Parts: sequence; structure tokens; C-alpha cells
Amino acid sequence: MAGQIHLPTAPSALSASAVLPVAAAERAPVNLSAFLVLGVLAIAVPLAANTLWLKVATGVMIYSLTAMSIAVLYRRLGLVSLTHVALMGCGGWVVLRLAHGFDTPFEVNLLCGGLGAGLAGTALAWPALRMRGLYLALVTLMAAGAYAILINVTQFPNGGDGWLGVAVRAVAFMPRPWIALSDQAYFVYCCGIVALGYALIGWHEATRAGRGWAMIRRSEAAAMSVGVNVTLYKVWGFALSGFLAGIAGGLLAGDLQFLDARSFPAAESVMIFALTIVGGAWHWYGALIAAALYRLAPAILNNAGVDGNAAYIFFGLALIQALATAPKGIAGQIAGLLDRLARRGSQG
Amino acid sequence: MIEIDRLSVVFGGIHALNRVTVTLMAPVSGIIGPNGAGKTTFLNVLSGFVRPAEGSVRMDGLELLALPPHARARAGLRRSFQREQVVDEMSVEDNVRVVLDPIRLSRAERARLLDRALDYCGLTAVRRERAERLNACERRMTELARTIVGSPQLVLLDEPGAGLSQGEVERLRQVIAGIHAFAGAQTLLIDHDVELIQAVCQDTMVLDFGMLIAAGPTADVLRDARVRAVYLGMEEGTA
Ligand SMILES: Nc1ncnc2c1ncn2[C@@H]1O[C@H](COP(=O)(O)OP(=O)(O)OP(=O)(O)O)[C@@H](O)[C@H]1O
Ligand SMILES: [Mg+2]
Repeated sequence: MAGQIHLPTAPSALSASAVLPVAAAERAPVNLSAFLVLGVLAIAVPLAANTLWLKVATGVMIYSLTAMSIAVLYRRLGLVSLTHVALMGCGGWVVLRLAHGFDTPFEVNLLCGGLGAGLAGTALAWPALRMRGLYLALVTLMAAGAYAILINVTQFPNGGDGWLGVAVRAVAFMPRPWIALSDQAYFVYCCGIVALGYALIGWHEATRAGRGWAMIRRSEAAAMSVGVNVTLYKVWGFALSGFLAGIAGGLLAGDLQFLDARSFPAAESVMIFALTIVGGAWHWYGALIAAALYRLAPAILNNAGVDGNAAYIFFGLALIQALATAPKGIAGQIAGLLDRLARRGSQG
Repeated sequence: MIEIDRLSVVFGGIHALNRVTVTLMAPVSGIIGPNGAGKTTFLNVLSGFVRPAEGSVRMDGLELLALPPHARARAGLRRSFQREQVVDEMSVEDNVRVVLDPIRLSRAERARLLDRALDYCGLTAVRRERAERLNACERRMTELARTIVGSPQLVLLDEPGAGLSQGEVERLRQVIAGIHAFAGAQTLLIDHDVELIQAVCQDTMVLDFGMLIAAGPTADVLRDARVRAVYLGMEEGTA
């Protein structure tokens, strides 16, 4: 994937509305149907899915938070961040550390995990204030690489002693929130958190922050001329994005009840970014599509007896297709289709 | 009152502004000059996008060069751009509301100021439309509404009439002429349309190759022999 990262790093060329007419359906990136769909999923999936598929569906929910956190940064500020799996790791580390060290409730840990990753995210805002495009993407990728090395040294807390909390023997599992002990309940719990994530982003985009970001995207000069503090709003964007990724990491820790340092390589950050573009950063369901591609598609292939890694070839092709023909991703194509259907419906 | 003292801007060897010293006090002052004369650069220094090599700029006694651009905006310095900067994905009212966001105001006061500015610019009927649906004139008016909402001190307009029809320029003329009465702000207007400048600017300054070649009451300035030479030259060049 690394060879392709130069493709999505020209957001202004890809996604500026000047390039493509904006679909009329794309009014607010987050809207009520998001909550409706999540509600239906929260009821239907636990009823229909067996243990294996429930696990996969939980993964989809968790990574849709990551995808939406990448999408908001890309959509609003045109920034490419290839570090969000590392930010998930930051959130996961904090959650595990607090759970094993202090027995605090899961929700408190999750919030702290989000805040910790948000803080790490704001550190990324520092290079983002000085560079854009490919250079910024490379810096974030290096940050993700540095994180992978660091976490492989420190490992994730698992109930051991000391500041790092790593035990070699007698490894402990982190308890799940008491209202969501079973896999079914935990899936519903994740749906709820994803809904909160959508609400948080929707609220930001509909208010002062969203207006400031929109101005910055138009041009930094225009933003400054209306009194927007560009530095502050960029830092704010990174903090929000990091917060959501950290929450996703915390949920992942709760799902597995431990985290493995080897599952946070920088390449995963590149992959989830690419899939966010393929899924569509401009519509709320783009994040769900991206997460489904990331978690569900390999599982389906495995189930069909094909090596799940074959999905990666498909993803590469999908990315090229998205960049060449559908800058708003699969979600953009669906939105266009829905729009056409609605128009036909209103005519006939 | 705008006090400019020995203002120079250099872009790699080119003097975009060369020791410009001028005091502007009229409610609406015009800035004219041929293409590349340094008019936009002059506004860019005022709004903080270009750092001058030397000189000082004061707005009602406030030294502007010490403030970052967004702080100047909050201090009441507003501007429009030669290439209009309306955000397509936002509604007209949000495009204007963004100016009030950093200012501490009650909800009611905010709504009142917004209504008033939209009304003044004739945008009330389209206020909830997404800006992408606006025509060129409405877009210019949206940007104008941004410059006058709240309590502006100084409004800088960079060729707001470019690309508008005769009738639309007439609307624009009324809006610009009324800014002082509407908001108490002083206006600087760049435009190539000398009729528009004549109609709304009490004073005018003329730039040519970064030099101030004339400043004073508009009628006098336009009668000045050097100005006529520069302008005739320009009209031959562009016609
Ligand atoms: N950012 C910049 N970097 C380098 N040169 C610049 C820059 N901005 C302006 N210039 C140069 O400075 C000079 C003045 O340009 P400016 O845009 O201020 O002219 P203007 O009077 O606004 O012209 P116009 O009527 O065409 O808008 C020109 O020679 C221009 O090429
Ligand atoms: Mg200009």
C-alpha cells in the first residue's frame, strides 16, 4: 500500500467541489438516518449473527469510529493522517492501564483513552500547521511507525506491576462494562458509542467549529479574514479526530479484553485511511462502508475458502477506481443513486 | 482613520509597494491603478497576509502590523477578495454568521446583527440557500454582508464589481455608499470601474508600479495629468 500513498494526498484536487458537482443529497454529512441505521443494526445483528459473525460485526462498528475520525479531518480540513491506528493504540493503552491499575469504570477509562489519544492527535497538529499534502502524510506515517516501535517495546498493560503494567506470567483480562458483558450486549454497546461519535461530529460540523473548518478549507486567507484562528481550529480538528480514534481503541480493548502490540503496525493506518477514501469521506455511511471493507470483506473471503488477504488486492483496485472516477467514494455513488431514484420517484 | 507611513513591500526584487505614505479619512476611499500596481498587495498588508519590508499601518490609532490576521478581523478589519471566497457547502447565513462566531454576544444580539446585515445586502430571501445555488451578484453580496455584519471599523473591498452586470453594479454602488451610515465603518474600495469610484468615493489614491502617484478628493485626482497618463496607458493596454 505504501507505494500508493501519494494518490490520496492531494485532497484539494480530489475533493474540491469545483471538480465535481456536489450531490444534492449530501447536505449534512451526518443526519438522522445514521441513528436509524445503527438502531436497526443494534437489534438485528445480535439476533441474526452467530458468535463468529458477531465478532466481525463488532469489529466493523469499532473501525467505523476510526474511519469517521479520519474522514472528518479529511473532509473538513483536507488533511491526510496516516496515523489513526496508532492513535487507537494510544486510547487502548490508556484504557487498559486504568482498568488494570485503578479498577475505574469502563466508561471513565474510555473517556480518558479518548482524551489521551486526542492529546496525541494535537501533537500531530504541530507538523500539520507547517506542511500539507504528501509531506504531512509522510510525517504522520513516521509517527505511526514510531508508535509501532514504542508499543512493541512497552507492550500493552495486562495486569502487571509498575508504570507499564505488563505481566509476563499470570496475564489478566480487562473486564468489559458491566452492562455489556456478553458479546451481544457489547455489540449493542459499540453501536451506541458509534451513534455518540456521529452525534459529536454532527454537532461540531453544524456549529462554530464546522463553519471555521469550512472557511479554512475554502482558503486560509479567507478564514483569517473572518476572524478564524486557523491554528486553533486545526488543533481542534486533530483533537476531535484523535479523541474518536482513541475511543475506538478503547472499544477494541474492551472487545478483546487485551491488546496485542503486534496488531498496530503503521501499514494498518495506511490501509484504514485508504479504505476511508474508498468508502467515502463525504457521507456518514462512508465510515461504515470503510469499516465493513476492512473487517467484513476479509471474513467473507475466508469463509468462502479464499485467503482473506486477497481482499487487499481488491482494496488496491478499489482505491484506484475511487481516485479515478469517484472522489466521494462508494458512499458518494450510493448517494448519487438515491438522489436519482428520489427524483424519478417525485416525477412519476 | 487609516494612517500609512512609508510602507514598502518587496517580492523578490520587485517593489510591489514603494514607500507609500498616505492618510485616509473619507467614509469611502478609492484605490485605483493599472494591473499589477500593488492595489491588492496594499490590502493584503492591511489584513496581514503580506509582511511589509518597512513602514507602519494604523487603524484609528491601533498599530495593525503587530496583530495576527485573525486578531485584526476581530478588531473590526474586514475584507472581500478579488476572487470571491464564499463557501459553497454552507448556507448564505452561515457564510455570514462565521464572522460573529469569535465575538462574545448574546444569542438574541447575534441573531439581530445577522438579520440586519442580510437584510441590508438584500439576502433575506435566500438566507437558507446553500451558497452554491447563488448567482455571481448574490455571492458578491454574501461576501459584502460578511464585511459589514457586527461592528466593522474598516471594510476593504477588492474589485467587488468585477463580473457584474450594469444593473448589479448599480445595486452594489448603493450598498457600498451606505456602509458608513449602516455600520459606521470606513471603506477602502479597489475597482477598475472609474464611474463606480467617482460615484461612491469621496477620496481616491492612485498607485502605479507600487508608488503612490496621487491622493486626495476623487474629482481632483481624476483630473491630475499624471493619473490621466497612467489611466490612458492602462486603457490602451486592456482594450
Ligand atoms: N505573493 C506574491 N508573490 C510575488 N509577487 C507578488 C505577490 N503578490 C503580488 N505580487 C506582485 O506584486 C505586484 C502587485 O500585484 P497586486 O496583486 O498587488 O496588483 P493589483 O494592483 O492588485 O493588480 P490587479 O489590478 O491586476 O488586481 C505584481 O507585480 C504582482 O505580480
Ligand atoms: Mg488586485
